[in-house]
Amino acid sequence: MHKGKGMKFVGDSRISAEQKPNIPKDYSEYPGRTEAFWPNFLLKEWLAGSVFLVGFLTLTLAHPAPLEGMADPTNSGYIPLPDWYFLFLYELLKYNFASGPYILFGIIIIPGLAFGGLLLAPFLDKGPGRRPHQRPVSVGMMLLALTSVIWLTYQSASGVNWEQRAEANKPVPPSEQADIDKDSEGYKVFENNCMSCHGEDLQGGAAAPPLTGIDRSKKEIKDIAKNGIGSMPPDQFSGSDKELDKLAEFIVSVNEDQ
Amino acid sequence: MLQKIYDWIDERADITPIWRDIADHEVPEHVNPAHHFSAFVYCFGGLTFFVVVIQILSGMFLTMYYVPDIENAWRSVYYLQTEVAHGQIVRGMHHWGASVVIVMLLLHTLRVFFQGAYKKPRELNWIVGVLLFFSILGLGFTGYLLPWDNKAYFATEVGLNIAEDVPIIGEDIKTLLAGDEEIVGAQTLARFFAIHVFFLPAVLFALLGVHFILIRRQGISGPL
Amino acid sequence: MSKDKQPVSRRQFLNYTLTGAGGFMAAGLLISPLRMAIDPVLQKEESQGDFTNVQLAEEDLTNEPQRVDWEVEQIDGWYESKVSKTAWVYKDDNGEIVALSPICKHLGCVVSWEGSDDYPNQFYCPCHDGRYYKDGENVPGTPPTAGLDIYEHKVENGMLYLGKAQLREEL
Repeated sequence: MHKGKGMKFVGDSRISAEQKPNIPKDYSEYPGRTEAFWPNFLLKEWLAGSVFLVGFLTLTLAHPAPLEGMADPTNSGYIPLPDWYFLFLYELLKYNFASGPYILFGIIIIPGLAFGGLLLAPFLDKGPGRRPHQRPVSVGMMLLALTSVIWLTYQSASGVNWEQRAEANKPVPPSEQADIDKDSEGYKVFENNCMSCHGEDLQGGAAAPPLTGIDRSKKEIKDIAKNGIGSMPPDQFSGSDKELDKLAEFIVSVNEDQ
Repeated sequence: MLQKIYDWIDERADITPIWRDIADHEVPEHVNPAHHFSAFVYCFGGLTFFVVVIQILSGMFLTMYYVPDIENAWRSVYYLQTEVAHGQIVRGMHHWGASVVIVMLLLHTLRVFFQGAYKKPRELNWIVGVLLFFSILGLGFTGYLLPWDNKAYFATEVGLNIAEDVPIIGEDIKTLLAGDEEIVGAQTLARFFAIHVFFLPAVLFALLGVHFILIRRQGISGPL
Repeated sequence: MSKDKQPVSRRQFLNYTLTGAGGFMAAGLLISPLRMAIDPVLQKEESQGDFTNVQLAEEDLTNEPQRVDWEVEQIDGWYESKVSKTAWVYKDDNGEIVALSPICKHLGCVVSWEGSDDYPNQFYCPCHDGRYYKDGENVPGTPPTAGLDIYEHKVENGMLYLGKAQLREEL
């Protein structure tokens, strides 16, 4: 390649007129069994990527993304749960040394040390040795941190009844939502007797299932209100028979409209 | 024909050296699973990037249906998931991709850590990598709210309350993120949408660029 | 001008000016967007809220905390809505009305009176097993860092009115 005087350019541009052939280098002569990235190695990578993609798409097909009911800030029965990769932080805050008066440990000092240590690892672990047994302190700390994160995540996740959660928080289609007449007499009875557990839109809560999308007769509803069913204790309803009538009528009407 | 087009562009733009920089380099034996099967651990970085690409693509298409408004956000997600052909798959890709990217990122980080590959001269790239980790966690946190379902709402409420417990600046951080001192509502959703779709991806792209340039400059770390 | 060695070389001067011009452009571009972004932080709203009739007669209050729900107008930026609020209300031993907010001071979950069978006579938060005594003070050793917020209250014509929930130390 020419340098300085004698360089030729394409037109009045600064592009060299000298064309370099685009032939990949041959790495077969290099020490070790090296391989050209393009196209040899990349092909293998993309084959692995294809296998990965098939697995990934199978996952998305087998498990549709979950969606719970529309956010209801007044839903007092809802127990919050972060996405799984934040569970360990959430669980950490349950411990006495990380909550209450020591909340700073839980939210700043412990995560700060862990993530700060991770960020500055090259400057904390400065020795020349790269093998794990040559740097026992940093490797030990990483193993400790890893074990704690896995343990905390497991602790948090094992305490959750996932199926019940998913069942209790199933989304209600928009078409089935708007049909609750909150001015009706039946709703007033509902408000006084059932709302604290079954929610103001009959959507259910942590302790009780939704009252929408059910298939029960007036008589059955009256019976359940009086005598309970499943985990619902008897005598939840306290009122006159006339009110009970109105309540049952109201709940049946809500379910009929759908 | 293709060769002619290439030559025509190359004559005017001199792209061969750029191409050489990007694609023409040797892959050493110790990272090649064809020679040592255990070298599959070197795949995690590439797979992380692959899932990030999936996230970008599926996310771009999701915004064709999604609206960041508390009246309609949940409805739009419900609609795209139940009514739109393949909507469930696209949302599934974005939802599961968010989890898979964290898994891959974790494995990649552990590979680099246990091999001590962050030692001199690669300190800077490790820091960029950890910052990438943080921005992806931030993307996960802000993206979680967007469907505006109960899970999203209450998890965000908890997250913001944790931020509020930070001394001195905690309340301001919460207000800055939520857009209101007390309410997690319309302004919060708009803010999280902006952060999730514009601010953090911009940070992510910049950091990814630096990450890759440094890898090409320094080459992959040698065998142990 | 003398022929002395110049304290600032031409190149340095140009570099400083370039930095200045760049800083000016960055500032001019970013001042308004940043001010817009942090606006909620600088907007301090008045802490005194209106009182709302919660449809509960004073004489109905007992020594046992009961849950009352009522609705208030909430303005969230451009979005105005009615939100329901909840309080646990009772009369303490001196006959004073106490209205406690159900928002757990740990992470904002919702507590309920005797919410767990294991802890009678306490408020219980299901998220992290936070507990509060009847007066709303947090049980030491459980996650909450402070007692439950207390609603401002007044009684007019025998009906209970509740205002804003306030932090304990502000009372």
